Amino acid sequence: MFVTGRIFALGMLVVIWVFILGGMELAKRAMPTFRKLAGLDALPEMVGRAAETGKPVHFTTGLGELNTNMASQLVAGLSVLAYVSELCARDGVRIVYSVYQSQVMPLATELMKAAYTSAGKPEDFDAEDQVRYMSGEQFAYASAVQGFAERERPAANIMIGPFYAESMLFAETFYRIGSIQLAGTARGYQIPFFAVVCDYLLIAEEIYAAGAYLSKDPILAGSIRGQDVGKLLALVMMIVGIILTALGSSALINLLKM
Amino acid sequence: MSIVFKRTLPIVIVFATALLFILEFFVTIPGIDFKSAATTVNNWGIILTAFTLAFGAVNLFIFQGRHILRRTKGQWPFSLWMLIVIVIFIVIGVSSGVSSGQYTWLYSASYFALSATVYSSLGFYMTSGIYRALRAKNIESGLLLIVGIIALARNAPAVAAGLPIIIPWEAWISAVPTTSAQRGIMIGAALGALALGIRTMIGRETGFLGKLTEAEKGG
Repeated sequence: MFVTGRIFALGMLVVIWVFILGGMELAKRAMPTFRKLAGLDALPEMVGRAAETGKPVHFTTGLGELNTNMASQLVAGLSVLAYVSELCARDGVRIVYSVYQSQVMPLATELMKAAYTSAGKPEDFDAEDQVRYMSGEQFAYASAVQGFAERERPAANIMIGPFYAESMLFAETFYRIGSIQLAGTARGYQIPFFAVVCDYLLIAEEIYAAGAYLSKDPILAGSIRGQDVGKLLALVMMIVGIILTALGSSALINLLKM
Repeated sequence: MSIVFKRTLPIVIVFATALLFILEFFVTIPGIDFKSAATTVNNWGIILTAFTLAFGAVNLFIFQGRHILRRTKGQWPFSLWMLIVIVIFIVIGVSSGVSSGQYTWLYSASYFALSATVYSSLGFYMTSGIYRALRAKNIESGLLLIVGIIALARNAPAVAAGLPIIIPWEAWISAVPTTSAQRGIMIGAALGALALGIRTMIGRETGFLGKLTEAEKGG
């Protein structure tokens, strides 16, 4: 019935699912509190600065693709794109979204159009100009984004999604032209690059919480609490594992291999 | 757009697809071939991706075409050159095939060389980034400076040969604090992705569907 070697993982999936649903139910009674995420709180300020300077805001989701295991980071980035697009529409700021995978284009176009409509300015949205397909090749895309930065000198640059070698190319290019930058990725190798160059940083799980954080939806916030309980469970398992291994027992390892 | 097309249908599709992949990964039921069903859905995804390439191409032609027609200063010659290159690639790719010698040569002699050039420029960007980062402004940046110097010295053969004591230091920093931090980040990220997936499956995370009203969110 169950695939051997994956039974424990399935069990953990069910347990965390229960935690998250439980967190959502509890949140209906009282809104959970979030710790502050400075990067997300700074978004109105970043858009405001673009409005003052009359320059655009640049957004990209890196090499995010909908049909790979990086899709979750892309979806997290799109949640922020929807929020920032609405802010830009309200303040009359042009936002340009650089696309790596053409598959994302119709999705992003609809999402940004809905944000402009919600802000009461659907006529301000120009899909061909604001949702730009750069290239499906990594360094052609990177060059196109760098070219955009040098030519149009955006006041703010927001990068949320999976990034690879282009992370430093982007962060440094936008730094040199004076853009205020927010970067977020769950790719561990790129986090240090963003940390040293960008003004604000979202580390790994923070990008997944961005949609819930920005929406102020208590049910979504509850799911984050459920996720935190899952993290606590992982921590307990690690401590138990350390103790058992130190005592010469392989019980937990065998359990994980089930 | 009705609520069914805007919210319900996408969420039903997402839920059914995600459930199929979960079952395919965790469960085997005699008589039910989850694997081939998952492969079929994957193939649909590939076909859809191929279709959406047309969106990208159309966007490029419209956007670059506008610059050419408007003679945008500092932009239009590049736009024209880009469209010429796209047409050359399309003509050679369609007429001789993407595996042909002509297409392969064109790709290797242009994109491959340019791609390697852009990648190698990363070294300069990293140097300038590190130069700014390695300044002892406070305790954290001071620690970063110390660790950075040790790692740099370890990876410079002449320094490592002259000062071999730093080799085990760097190995310890890489194996213990760095790996621990990376694993902590990985666990947090995995749980975050899982929570996002569950929220998306049950229709609570709707950011990718655009702005929904409270009624459309389903309360």
